[in-house]
Amino acid sequence: MSKVPVSFEWLSGCSGCEMSTVDLHDRLLEVLDEIELVRIPILMDEKDYPKAALGIVTGALRTDHDVHAAHEMRKSCDKILAFGVCAVYGGPQGAAYAHGQGELEEAVFKNNPTTRTKFIPDQGIPKILPEGVRPIDSEIEVDLYLPGCPPHPYYIAQAIKSVVSGKVPEFGAHNVCFHCRRSMQHSEVVALRRSHDGPVAGDTCFMSQGILCMGSVTLDRCLAPCPQHGTACTGCAGPSEHVILEPQRDIRTEIAERMSSMTRIKRDDIIREIEKRSKTYYAYAMASPVFRKKPTFLLRRWIEQGEP
Amino acid sequence: MGRTIVVNPVTRIEGHAKVDIEIDDADQIVAARLHVLEFRGFEKFVEGMQVELMPTLTTRICGTCPHAHHLVAAKCVDAVFGAAPPRAAILQRQLLNAGSIIHSHAIHFFALAAPDLIMGIGAPKEDRNIIALLRAQPDLAKKALRLRSLGQKIAEVVGGRGTHPVTAVAGGMTMALDQEKLVQLRSMATEALELSRFALNAGKKVLADKSELIELLPLKTYDLGTVKEGTWDLYDGTLRLCDPEGKVAKEFDSANYRDVMVEEACRHSYSKNILFKLAAKEVSYRVGPLARLNTCEGLPTAEAQAELLEYRAKFGRPNHQVVLGHYARLIETLACAELALEITGDPDLLSTDVKSEPQHGPRSAIAHVEAPRGVLIHDYDVDAQGLIRKANFIVATQHNMSSIDASLRQAADHFWKRPEAEFLNGVEFAIRCYDPCLSCSTHQLGEMPMIVNLIRRGEIVRQVRR
Repeated sequence: MSKVPVSFEWLSGCSGCEMSTVDLHDRLLEVLDEIELVRIPILMDEKDYPKAALGIVTGALRTDHDVHAAHEMRKSCDKILAFGVCAVYGGPQGAAYAHGQGELEEAVFKNNPTTRTKFIPDQGIPKILPEGVRPIDSEIEVDLYLPGCPPHPYYIAQAIKSVVSGKVPEFGAHNVCFHCRRSMQHSEVVALRRSHDGPVAGDTCFMSQGILCMGSVTLDRCLAPCPQHGTACTGCAGPSEHVILEPQRDIRTEIAERMSSMTRIKRDDIIREIEKRSKTYYAYAMASPVFRKKPTFLLRRWIEQGEP
Repeated sequence: MGRTIVVNPVTRIEGHAKVDIEIDDADQIVAARLHVLEFRGFEKFVEGMQVELMPTLTTRICGTCPHAHHLVAAKCVDAVFGAAPPRAAILQRQLLNAGSIIHSHAIHFFALAAPDLIMGIGAPKEDRNIIALLRAQPDLAKKALRLRSLGQKIAEVVGGRGTHPVTAVAGGMTMALDQEKLVQLRSMATEALELSRFALNAGKKVLADKSELIELLPLKTYDLGTVKEGTWDLYDGTLRLCDPEGKVAKEFDSANYRDVMVEEACRHSYSKNILFKLAAKEVSYRVGPLARLNTCEGLPTAEAQAELLEYRAKFGRPNHQVVLGHYARLIETLACAELALEITGDPDLLSTDVKSEPQHGPRSAIAHVEAPRGVLIHDYDVDAQGLIRKANFIVATQHNMSSIDASLRQAADHFWKRPEAEFLNGVEFAIRCYDPCLSCSTHQLGEMPMIVNLIRRGEIVRQVRR
């Protein structure tokens, strides 16, 4: 059987998705038996866009160069996989949505404790998109979505193997709680608390303990490593399917519903806290239209009000 | 007519960039510069966020060295709340760090640099990558990938995730390690030690076979690295700046970095350069494996120390051959494998006392660690609620920007008359010696494939991209 040509391109991101692919470890060599990498900038010197059956795009659209590269990938590849939370939802640089380019440049180049120059680079470099950051499907047609920051190698192998054998991968629509072994319990906790403040029980749901955890509103593309290792879910794979599909559901109301029924914390207190710290709780998918279409969603205003 | 050559995108580095080479009317090279083409803006993104969440959020600055960002952020939040980690937590963090450096150094040497060294700078592009190396030298390439895997798996067992770890928190670590994990870690560290000896020997042989490359890029400059009572340390210690003769020019606590480091933007790049302020002048300097081996008195483990002595006997101290950064990287890999094995034998590693409680309300804090590529500083200005008011990140590749440009120019001069493909790759070879991480250095905005522009009197007369 001839190998299936696969092409990679990275836009605005961190190379973590590429590393997670290498984290297939021993299975990487098996995958390489079935595919022919025709382009992967972190590993190979191919700078053009050769034809490929599958194009894997990591990173978000941030500059005019990113937009150009996304179109080159679409033209040269039969199928496009949006790989990682940046490509799918914009990722952490989605916070550019909350601030606008002027504020970001101000913090980095003009009003920065160790920077003595006061100008913003402007010559011969790609232009930042006026709207800040966009997911790739705002520009090109996407055939498959694999969010995650990064997606777990388990899902990466599944995605690549399905595509090379001409199938649609069956990822499942379950949330992070599905793989979490902590038990949800009713508790008498009356107020939210932060994770650094006091001991955290290792076998009980974070929400039962009054700590905000995004697991129940986050799609599982990770196998739940964070709650299994003592850290509440931060929502890095983006929203779960019911939040994506149902306009009246949002992550803050969903969490508030669940948490207020498990504890004695008031539903509205939870909603207010998530709104106040919305930059944290919407950190990975802020730039996505999924949230913008929700009637009650006022992210920019919440962030402005919550600034110290 | 003056011309500029542009290499865009630069491949086999972590991030996005291009190179401009300026030439005069006589076709002599007058300047060469690496430009970083991406900008993300993390300093601003984290404003208003809860400071205790920085160890998980700032990993997203870089997928190659998330562990370094994770650990420096954890050290910062320890200080923010006055929660000094118990010994077991420090051991876990050092083990996580050792694993991460093994992963990063191994992938850099074998996947990004070795294709040039083994296949040759002038080799066709199809042959200059790890996949071709897997075909040409399967044993070497497989062992190299295995070594990288072991490092990443060690980091994953301790850190909870391979890429973007999560277990280091204010005051220590979220979980104690158990016997089962210890057995796993010990067996992985043992194998990693075996393979890092193999890697170092293979690397030495490769460099010996390509001896004409070793002296290609000499750069007599200042070196900055972390030492603990003089000894090389990646997690903790003071910052030491040595002058080009190897004399200590300054040794200081990273909390005072603002007094000595000054960043400058460049019109053509989203990454900022840094200069070091000495009493009489400002100097540029280098960080990373070569700099660390130049600044330390010695390494903390026996085999790596013996290797360091052999390296110093051959090349002197300080060693200014930029290409030998690859050699230094492999000595460090060996040191990290020894360190990992040593830590897994420490009886305190399994202690369940892994986290201290906050001793005071939130205060601003600054901390540093050695990332694989060099000194990494996080600086958090925090309000009374423990929210970030302002943040500043100084990443390894930024320190190296001036040195990279200097080496670039040397490489351009050297490969100028060679066939086009060899010239372009020679230029990239110089960049790869620094293992630059442009994901990190563009945490400010974020991209790096490669164009070389040939520029004469400000006008692009030719653009080369492969």
